[in-house]
Amino acid sequence: MSLSSFRPVFRSFKPSTRILSAFQRTPQCLQQRTPAYTSPFSSTSRMQKRSKKGPGLDPRITSIRYHLSHPLTPRPLHFSRTRSLRHWTIHRAWLLFLRKRRAAEALELERQYMSMRAACEHLRLMDSNGNRVSEDEAGGQGPDAGTLGVKGREVGRLYRSAMIKRGIWGSVPVEYGRIQTDFPGREGWNHGWTRN
Amino acid sequence: MAPVTPSIRHFSLCLRCVRQLPTANGTPRRTLSTSAAAREEVQTQPSTPAPPVPPPSDDTTLTPSTTSQVIPDFMQKWGTLDPQTVENKKQERRLLRREHVQPVGSRRRRAVLRRSALQKATEVPFEQLPYQCFQEARKFLLEDRQEKIKDIETQQLRIRNLMDQDPAVSGGPAAKESRLRSMRKHFNELIILADINDPVVKRKFEDGQGDMNKPIYRYLADQKWRQYKRLVLEQRLTQMNVVPDLLPTLDIVADIDLGFGRKSVAPGDFVLSTISEKMPRLNVQIFTPGERLVTILVVDADVPDLESDSFTYRCHFVASNIPLSPTRTSIPLQRIAQEDAKSEDVSAKKIAIPWVSPWAHKGAPYHRLAILVFEQKDAQPLDITKVGKTKRENFNVRSFVDKHKLSAITATLFRTQWDESMAGVMERAGLKDQIAVELKRRRVEPLPHKRRTERMR
Repeated sequence: MSLSSFRPVFRSFKPSTRILSAFQRTPQCLQQRTPAYTSPFSSTSRMQKRSKKGPGLDPRITSIRYHLSHPLTPRPLHFSRTRSLRHWTIHRAWLLFLRKRRAAEALELERQYMSMRAACEHLRLMDSNGNRVSEDEAGGQGPDAGTLGVKGREVGRLYRSAMIKRGIWGSVPVEYGRIQTDFPGREGWNHGWTRN
Repeated sequence: MAPVTPSIRHFSLCLRCVRQLPTANGTPRRTLSTSAAAREEVQTQPSTPAPPVPPPSDDTTLTPSTTSQVIPDFMQKWGTLDPQTVENKKQERRLLRREHVQPVGSRRRRAVLRRSALQKATEVPFEQLPYQCFQEARKFLLEDRQEKIKDIETQQLRIRNLMDQDPAVSGGPAAKESRLRSMRKHFNELIILADINDPVVKRKFEDGQGDMNKPIYRYLADQKWRQYKRLVLEQRLTQMNVVPDLLPTLDIVADIDLGFGRKSVAPGDFVLSTISEKMPRLNVQIFTPGERLVTILVVDADVPDLESDSFTYRCHFVASNIPLSPTRTSIPLQRIAQEDAKSEDVSAKKIAIPWVSPWAHKGAPYHRLAILVFEQKDAQPLDITKVGKTKRENFNVRSFVDKHKLSAITATLFRTQWDESMAGVMERAGLKDQIAVELKRRRVEPLPHKRRTERMR
């Protein structure tokens, strides 16, 4: 809600008697004759008025005043030529810094991924004696990590056990581990999917 | 300007030339852009280390005799009035009265200049302004620039290595060419990126002092042109159907300004016939490096053809072999015509078909006069006598383009219609018999009255 809608269009600076006196030709004595005991309209309570300390600042009034004198839109930057150039320089340096940091992060992620991938590949091509076997002797090719190669179970045992995904998500099956999206994919459901 | 009085500004300029500018912390004081002289882009705070305004007695001796003759005595007592530093109303009025010069800038600015001149405030170059964040930012940008320069060098080396490589090794000549193209593109990008964050480059470009021989300024100018001016030009050309009518397609790659004499004309404006009687002047700014030759063609796209009840084209002007480069932008056709008239050699001439002032019949719809700029193939000059054989009437732009192997780089247009001075223009152009012709719309017979049927009611 914008408080600026409550802002008065015109502000009367004093009680209206001043303005009236400018227009009326009433002599001053007439105003003085008005009885002194008629208290003017006031919202201040009598006790508060009597106390020596004077009225305390109402936080509501303070906040209203604050919002009246501070518009929601910050004032535009009015800079001199040199100042704006300095501002621009700092801004460009900051953007460049962000860009470099982003690039460095992406590079680091890629490095980590590639390192994990190399490790898994090494495990896959390793037999029980720790020797390296050729590609066709090893299993674990294609989408399913559990397939066995020509040499059978002895090759890539560690790889297969590393690829087991049971239990790592707790009771939730790992198939739900993909990133949740607002809408289903283009081909909604994979009907051909089987566990094995 | 004060007549010849050595003003404070002159003093400061001289001082700036002579002054030894110190280096801060042993670093080179200007490293962001390599080529520019250090003195030029040194930013000065709005302050001039000049002596305060000399007393009026000096002024009378300094003022040249020609002006002092005119100026009465009481005015000479006012002393020196510099339009840069005059700061109150009285002095401004006196300046206007005696020197007939308006004060420069705002009063506040002038006051600051005057104060700082009086206090002899020291001049701090923009690079050394003592703001921590600014200095850190500069340091970061300078590091990045050094990296970019290193990248540029490696890329240069790679390109050279690839060029030396046997095409059989790099997978055929076509693959090699495409690789080279992409590497060169990356190379050009790196050159831009090395300078794009330089505040001094930005300031020079904004002041219009950028050197168009340098890629960064060309890039900035191109970007600025594409922001607004090119959009307007493209819109006018397509909305007034220059593009499908005269040329099948047009990718505008050069900025063009059209003007007649002093008056500049926005693309698509109506131009009075007296104004367009003389040749226009063109200003074509290209953003790619290198010198090339261009052909300029002015075509009227709306010549009424009464026999076939349609419109044809007429060629108004052809000029070829006009040199153009990023720094050489002006094409003053008037002056080119004058030089042509002087030169004896036929092949050195540039105007193949001389200018005929655009004209329109009374009552005819407006004529679009398109000005097309073509780049000649491989910057080879065309044979002017051959080009000059082109017929004006029933001119076909597409066949002209095909015949001379041209490629359009930019175009603009203006419009002409019948106005009060058109009769005189046509008379001077030798078209006296056409003046009295007035075109009228053919009366369309209304359709026969059709009775309302039951259903319509």
